Amino acid sequence: MRGFSQNRWSLAGLVVLTALLAMGAGDDARFNNLGHKLMCVCGCNQVLLECNHVGCAYSDRMRGELAAGVERSESDDLTLQTFVQKYGPTVLIAPTSTGFNRVAWVVPYFALALGVISLVVLARNWSHRTQPVSNSASQTPDMLDAYRRQARKETEL
Amino acid sequence: MTSLVLLYVFYLPGKLRLGPEKTRLSFLQERKETVYENLRDLNFDFRAGKLPEADFKTMERSLEDEAAGILAEIASLERFEEQRS
Amino acid sequence: MSQLGSYALLLALALSAYSFIGGLAALVWPGAQSERLGETARRAGIAVFAVVFLAALVLVAAAFADDFSIAYIFHHSNRDLPAPYKFATLWSGQEGSLLFWSLLLSSYGLILRLRHRTDTRLFAYASVIIAAVQVFFLLLLNFAAHPFAVMQGSLPPDGNGLNPLLQYPEMVIHPPMLYLGYVGFTIPFAFALGALIMKYPGEKWIHITRRWTMVTWMFLTCGIFLGAHWAYSVLGWGGYWGWDPVENASFMPWLTGTAFLHSVMMQEKRGMLKVWNMWLIFATFGLSIFGTFLTRSGVVSSVHAFAQSSIGDWFVGFLLVILAVCLYFYIVNRHHLRSEHRLESLVSRESSFLFNNLLFVLFCFTVLWGTLFPILSEWVQGKKVTVGPPFYNKVTIPVTLLLLLLTATGPLLAWRKTSLESLKRNFLWPFLGAIAVGVAMLVFGVRPWTDISYFYALMAGMLATLVALTVISEFVRGGRVIARHTGQSLLPSMLHLWHRNTRRYGGYIVHFGVAIVVIGILGTPFNQEAEKEMGYGDKVSLGPYTLVCRSYTQEDNPNYGNEWAIIDVFRGGKQITTMYPERRFYKASQQTQTVPRIHATVREDLFLVKDLYLVYEGINPDTGRPIIKAHLNPMVPWIWIGVLVMIFGTITALFANAAPVRVTVPARVPEPATVGAGD
Repeated sequence: MRGFSQNRWSLAGLVVLTALLAMGAGDDARFNNLGHKLMCVCGCNQVLLECNHVGCAYSDRMRGELAAGVERSESDDLTLQTFVQKYGPTVLIAPTSTGFNRVAWVVPYFALALGVISLVVLARNWSHRTQPVSNSASQTPDMLDAYRRQARKETEL
Repeated sequence: MTSLVLLYVFYLPGKLRLGPEKTRLSFLQERKETVYENLRDLNFDFRAGKLPEADFKTMERSLEDEAAGILAEIASLERFEEQRS
Repeated sequence: MSQLGSYALLLALALSAYSFIGGLAALVWPGAQSERLGETARRAGIAVFAVVFLAALVLVAAAFADDFSIAYIFHHSNRDLPAPYKFATLWSGQEGSLLFWSLLLSSYGLILRLRHRTDTRLFAYASVIIAAVQVFFLLLLNFAAHPFAVMQGSLPPDGNGLNPLLQYPEMVIHPPMLYLGYVGFTIPFAFALGALIMKYPGEKWIHITRRWTMVTWMFLTCGIFLGAHWAYSVLGWGGYWGWDPVENASFMPWLTGTAFLHSVMMQEKRGMLKVWNMWLIFATFGLSIFGTFLTRSGVVSSVHAFAQSSIGDWFVGFLLVILAVCLYFYIVNRHHLRSEHRLESLVSRESSFLFNNLLFVLFCFTVLWGTLFPILSEWVQGKKVTVGPPFYNKVTIPVTLLLLLLTATGPLLAWRKTSLESLKRNFLWPFLGAIAVGVAMLVFGVRPWTDISYFYALMAGMLATLVALTVISEFVRGGRVIARHTGQSLLPSMLHLWHRNTRRYGGYIVHFGVAIVVIGILGTPFNQEAEKEMGYGDKVSLGPYTLVCRSYTQEDNPNYGNEWAIIDVFRGGKQITTMYPERRFYKASQQTQTVPRIHATVREDLFLVKDLYLVYEGINPDTGRPIIKAHLNPMVPWIWIGVLVMIFGTITALFANAAPVRVTVPARVPEPATVGAGD
């Protein structure tokens, strides 16, 4: 698990720092953007740049690699692909929007559409439904009026 | 421990004290409470200005009809009980 | 000791099996003897509590006695573990937490069985269903995850200890709260299923379970937010929610449970949505069992997951049985669930509940979908993918904002039908207030067009204002009606108003709390952070604060060794506090942990409290100086404040309503010609 790995930290820190220094402001934004599309793979389940990375065996190295990739001015896709090649598809924080992975994104909206449609149909059916008649056929209108008055009195506020 | 537990579970001297059975009458009382509650809410919403008078009147009328039906049935059941006893 | 515990578990299994079978027999074959049989079943259910309690007591006693002959104690405790965590051993591992679950279920069962006289028959049904659930957990405890299994071979001198991440005060309270919530949904479930099976006339069962459901919901809410707060104060990344599968597992029953709390009112008041409510509570119970399954089966990887084990199969089996039973009784008795009223207008409280339910269920579905998609993906395309925060945020944030909009409009709608005129009139001032807040946010530099998160923050601010203002206006408007009627002044009238209908007005307070929580959550774009290596006297500035490193040092104690820094915090040249970010190395488990320090600026900014959050990241070996990361989280404290408001609101909703002003006038009825039973 996480040990005191200060050597590794300082090394990676240096890599990141020099890389950051070498980059312009645009690269900075790209680093930040891409870093939020990747996961730390140590098992902490956190976004790479938000991983509490000191002592984490992976994230320092990954940050270094990302900085290097950004510095080489590769395209975003290429950088992310390099990570996928190296760490497997789970390194991407969310499913891609290609192939079967697209299903992940589409289904919630599909469910929303389905829900809204069924709700509208349901509401329509309901408002056309006839009101059940209350079972008071055996009573004369006079009596009912008396009870009605009683109900009104007892429920003023 | 086991015998204590078994004693508690199976030793039932005398008559059991159970709650009342649910009757048609108690069911009607519950219904009446619900309809009354709805009537009070309706009154309240009307006084708070959430519905126009015309809507209020029709809705009040339908709820009062419902309440009257229930009250009538309660009364006739109670009379029936009285006669029986 | 382990023998006593094992025996207690076996006895509990026998008793709950008897409670189930005996109770069932009494219900299926009514007769002269069945009442007595049912009574013995009820008592067996009560006895289960005593016996399971004994088993739990034995386990806790073993933890305090450092009895490492019991494997569970060896794996989850050690001699130097502080006492509160030894107590928490009961729920810190797989077997113990299943025992704890069983204990809580039997406690809920105890209360239910003691109150059986409210409605003996309905309670007998509920009791049998609870006994069935109890049988499942006791089977698990006896045959799949035995907490009293003994160590093989020679007795170890000391235990493995508790994971240091778990050595935090909330360990003692977060799991019990969460479990109380999870387990508690068994009660409304049992009543609902019981009512369906016996074709219970009327909706009284909802009235009976109303408080159970609210209390359960409150525990689950507490549990979830305590977990979030724990993550925030322990993990040291400045966040509190990571859409981890296990977090999701606790959130899903909360979502369906919240939907149920709302929609069940439609059934109680108007006899509508009976089928929907039935399935909603089935789903809530199913999801809480499913959540337990997710945590324990190793199906998904998570920081929370217990060790991988075979008990997953047991849970799948149990879930299938639940589904089959619910489906069977639904199909057989579905006619009983026919709606009594129709929807009269789209502009009504009823339809706002319909949309509310749609959104909650959609939310829950999205979370479920995201949690299970990695498994589906592995199955379909042979590789696992990660479904992380961006996926969830994309769907859930807009849904949350829509829910907030409904929260704002719902209270303004009357049951059955509302006039658009009144809606416009009542909405005008809150709407203008929300616009004013939006304009103020723009003036103070929120730029919604630069980043979607700013747009969300802006919407959250405006909608939360809308909710707050409609809640206040509802109190004032209602208070005025009471004031006119009784002649009291406004404030006592508002109190009277709450007392007339505690659930409604307590609920409005909960809404108010929710609005505050959402502000806290969607205020993330205003967070700032800084990271620096700090020697003696080094400074870092962050927002209006200046952090100065006074000193740093190292220490050692039997449980852990630690390093920490002393940081003075200044604002406007004046020192406001001193903070001690720390890092620990736990000896028994050989693990490192950062201990972030949080200072909520309550005294400095009364109305705009912020969190100053310091993390000791480590030492730079070249210079020997500590590296400190500082976060300034201006909105996070509002989450905890909002939760407190939510809990307060729920508690006020639990009070009994004041009796309405009763004018009981017997109706003067003309004598009828004939008298019928009228049944």
